[in-house]
Amino acid sequence: MTDDAPAEEYLELPGGRVHLFRAGGGEPLLFLHAAGGAGEWHDFHRLLASRGFDVIAPDHPGFGKSDEFPLVEAVDDLVYHYLDVLDALGLDRVHVVGASFGGWIAAELAVAASHRIRALALLSAAGLRLPDHPVPDIFLMPPQKLTQTLFHNPPPAPPVPAEPDVDAVLAAYRDATALARFCWVPYLSNPKLERRLHRISVPTLVVAPSDDRLIPVAHARRYASGIPGARFAEVPDCGHAMYFERPAEFADLVAAFLGEHSHSSATSGAQR
Amino acid sequence: MKFSFFHLMPYPYLPADFDEKYDSSALTYPNANFDPKLGTSLYQRYLDELEYADKLGFDGIAVNEHHQSAYGLMPSPNLMAAALTRRTERARIMVLGNAIGIRGNPLRVAEEIAMLDLMSGGRVDSGFVRGIGWEYFGHSVNPTRSRARFDEAHDLIIKAWTAAEMFSWYGANYEYRYVNIWPRPVQQPHPPVYIPGAGSTETMKFCAAHRYTYMSVYAPTRIVRRWFDGYRQAAADLGYVPDPEKIAFSVPIYVADTDERAHAEARPALEWLYHRGLKQTPEMVTPPGYMSPGSLRGVLMSGMRGFGTASYEDLLAAGQAVVGSPASVTARLRELYDELGGFGQLIGLFAIGPSTHEQVTRSAELFATEVMPALRPLGVAADATSA
Repeated sequence: MTDDAPAEEYLELPGGRVHLFRAGGGEPLLFLHAAGGAGEWHDFHRLLASRGFDVIAPDHPGFGKSDEFPLVEAVDDLVYHYLDVLDALGLDRVHVVGASFGGWIAAELAVAASHRIRALALLSAAGLRLPDHPVPDIFLMPPQKLTQTLFHNPPPAPPVPAEPDVDAVLAAYRDATALARFCWVPYLSNPKLERRLHRISVPTLVVAPSDDRLIPVAHARRYASGIPGARFAEVPDCGHAMYFERPAEFADLVAAFLGEHSHSSATSGAQR
Repeated sequence: MKFSFFHLMPYPYLPADFDEKYDSSALTYPNANFDPKLGTSLYQRYLDELEYADKLGFDGIAVNEHHQSAYGLMPSPNLMAAALTRRTERARIMVLGNAIGIRGNPLRVAEEIAMLDLMSGGRVDSGFVRGIGWEYFGHSVNPTRSRARFDEAHDLIIKAWTAAEMFSWYGANYEYRYVNIWPRPVQQPHPPVYIPGAGSTETMKFCAAHRYTYMSVYAPTRIVRRWFDGYRQAAADLGYVPDPEKIAFSVPIYVADTDERAHAEARPALEWLYHRGLKQTPEMVTPPGYMSPGSLRGVLMSGMRGFGTASYEDLLAAGQAVVGSPASVTARLRELYDELGGFGQLIGLFAIGPSTHEQVTRSAELFATEVMPALRPLGVAADATSA
């Protein structure tokens, strides 16, 4: 990662500062991170940047190094927040890739503003309320159970430090607090989202890891059937952690799909 | 010193394999383990005990609110308080308190407390609590809104009790076009307010600003001392010294004729309370956003641990329970009075976990007849400055 470390920037909005990573070149790609993905730049992002995309990965309000944005209270506010982000970046149309919690935001953004999106990739997106396929309560899970839920092949537990790192505990609590702000109830979903999916009018790829123990694969199938013309793909032997577990597979799928829907002349929108 | 008899109304009948099989007595502990017939008897017994405390001369009898838990069987403290208004004569009826952080309709709390105030002839004290962590899971209330909901509900309730005329309310959490409660409370300007604190600096400042009674929850003496000092400092910052009665120390108390007997009987009861009744996972204790970053940092830095690991001896040494003969309990409470920098109210938990009715009433009798008179002179306004 040292070869092509991303640029780290802060974007000034009226409500505060947004921290973001940015790397690569080509068509802009807005990446919306999962609940646990703030402030992280992975192989997955690096691979996308290397495949001809200008990858922009902001931290959501209250997450990572972004400011609190207390008035961004719910997922509808997040949609307007990301429209503000696109405006501030001077980007008219972007590819949007969202994972899990970020996939929910991506779907809501596409419902509200497909005209700002070139192509959409939803990676095991949260957001649908399917009582027959419930999402277990991540807020009540002890860390070890959470790891077992997120991974197909859970990594060994890290050693427990003798003295807890207070700053690390507080940072994790801040991220969890930001997540809970948006999804404590209704839990990780907007009950109105499913009936609005027909408004998404951009090429859409819906990806599910085959062994998703957090968001059952039924959610991805429901997204794929609700979004007109959406394509569905499954990544085998993989858990909800997705690009933590299989970064190359996810980068390949997403880059190939977005590549099919690229605007090769790149005339619309401000490009770097 | 004023003394009150506090009841949690526990459901003590946990299965033999509870320790291995369940990670808490709350939230996820299946209510298939609740026997309604036993529960019926418990309610009768527990109300009898509170009524008996009134006869024994306790200044207050206290109930509180907990949900989905064997730790405490009072989802509605106001119902229990209502029952007590008709069967007691003298004691203050202390609701400690209504969990207005999780209540959907705070106006209902204003109405019910006003009703209790009239029914009791102006004997009701109104505690307000946020509700504890697991209750934000259980009642599906966003813990990140906890503080804001508590503050707004409090402001609305006080205004509903005191406003000279009907008003409208437009807040971030609640909106009412007509606030015009019937009945209004009989105590003026409103029933006294109690707020339990567990280390949050926001709560200390809030209590001091409103001159409310600040009461501790169960914690080691050195930590309670820090809370009481924080409250006293918050008052000092506002330019006043709080009346000793505005500081309430709450602690489980068990008195028997001899030290030996007291410890033999109290040990299993206190182990039940701290190891089973209060058994919780860290996720249940601190749901996201329930604590402010500053308060969480304070808790982490103070090295406060869960109750689960403290032995009976540790709990006694740390002032998290007071057990013994009347003479020993009197001496220990004097020590704690000094170690805590003074307090003017003692809120005793006498019905601890699986203690029997006979044990509880005997303990309360010994306390009322032998300990109370000895401690009565402590913590009154005259010695406030020496504390």
